[in-house]
Amino acid sequence: MHDRPMSRKEAGLWILFGVLWLGAIGAGGARLWTYKTTPGAPAPLQRGWPAASRIPRDRARPALPTLIMMAHPNCPCTRASVGELANLMQRLRGRVAARVVFVVPRGAARSWTESDTWRAVQSMPGVTSWIDEGGLEAARFGARTSGQVLLFAANGRLLFSGGITPIRGHLGDSAGQERIVSLVTTGRADAATSRVFGCALGPV
Amino acid sequence: MTPMDLGEDLAVREAKVTARAGELFAEQRQRVFVRVDRMFLGLMGGQWIFGILVAFFFSPYAWEGKESTVHPHVWTAVLLGGALSLFPMLLAWKRPGWIVTRHVIAVSQMLWSALLIHLSGGRIETHFHVFGSLAFLAFYLEWRVLVTATAVVVADHLARGLFWPESVYGITNPESWRFLEHAFWVVFEDVFLAIACVNGVRDMRRSARRQAELEGLRESDELKTFALEMALAEARA
Repeated sequence: MHDRPMSRKEAGLWILFGVLWLGAIGAGGARLWTYKTTPGAPAPLQRGWPAASRIPRDRARPALPTLIMMAHPNCPCTRASVGELANLMQRLRGRVAARVVFVVPRGAARSWTESDTWRAVQSMPGVTSWIDEGGLEAARFGARTSGQVLLFAANGRLLFSGGITPIRGHLGDSAGQERIVSLVTTGRADAATSRVFGCALGPV
Repeated sequence: MTPMDLGEDLAVREAKVTARAGELFAEQRQRVFVRVDRMFLGLMGGQWIFGILVAFFFSPYAWEGKESTVHPHVWTAVLLGGALSLFPMLLAWKRPGWIVTRHVIAVSQMLWSALLIHLSGGRIETHFHVFGSLAFLAFYLEWRVLVTATAVVVADHLARGLFWPESVYGITNPESWRFLEHAFWVVFEDVFLAIACVNGVRDMRRSARRQAELEGLRESDELKTFALEMALAEARA
């Protein structure tokens, strides 16, 4: 059962297949990597909580900073953002109030809105959800990408704007999450923004 | 028969046994390579189907507002997954037991780990695929295959650490210990699997030697019996 000998022609064919295989893997891998690392459009930096917003601040705990996450209920990438929000809330236990704003088209069916991401948020301690029909709140906050996080100080000043996943739709520690933790716990961070990854929120 | 003749006879017999043991060992080793290649032929096909199911289950559509399109992960699972699986499957089918086959399988298997991790959105549980794959590759009883597989993991970490450190370490300025922590667990498994491979090969060699000795003894017994029968036949005549 020894390895059978190979003709030159057969060896050449295997080398050709090998080169094609490596090329296909390289091209496919590069395409996947480009997709995963291309950030979505960031929210333009604004000074503070939009005056026209109807999203209530946490009146019971007015001294807490408020974290807003804009989410597309069906975007699979946002599952990772919501997963990382759960981690973040665990790390910041009781030191921040969080709202996840689900951006949905007007008259969207309940099944469209109440996705597994929506259900995950309902069971998350310290986090409340808000349905934004027609994307009015998303427009007020300038959010264009699902997973966009905005952190506001108790006085309404914007502290941070960005995403909390390392790449698109991927769980894991990220610069955005570290910056939010640092801002909430020490009041300082090396930067006030990070790249945001997710589906486009609009047009709805 | 003089003592010198007896010594020569023993030396010849020993050389024969050693040569036969070498043959039996090579045959047995080749059988293992072929059997494990065939196992991976099935596994590669299974992983391809599983990857497509994962993509369909976790991320069927990409969204832009209320518009949806087939998610790039689905195409990636079908096309990149196909590319990852088909070449090793072809090798395992047409050239089982060839050294290139098992090393291509090792590369492909570790790339499958990376692809499944991406398709599942980085779930920590999917990272277990790396360790399971190393264990499967150890079925070859060939530590060099583990080196190839580990080199793929290291190359992936180094490349991503260089171009997108956040995707490996989570933070933009990684401390070196984070990389060492990842490397430690892979090397930890590698060391014990490599020891198991070396021991497995040693056992295989011993077993081949024992079989060769038994064959030698049987041959020698048959010769003795034959000589005795000849002598008896002559005496009767």
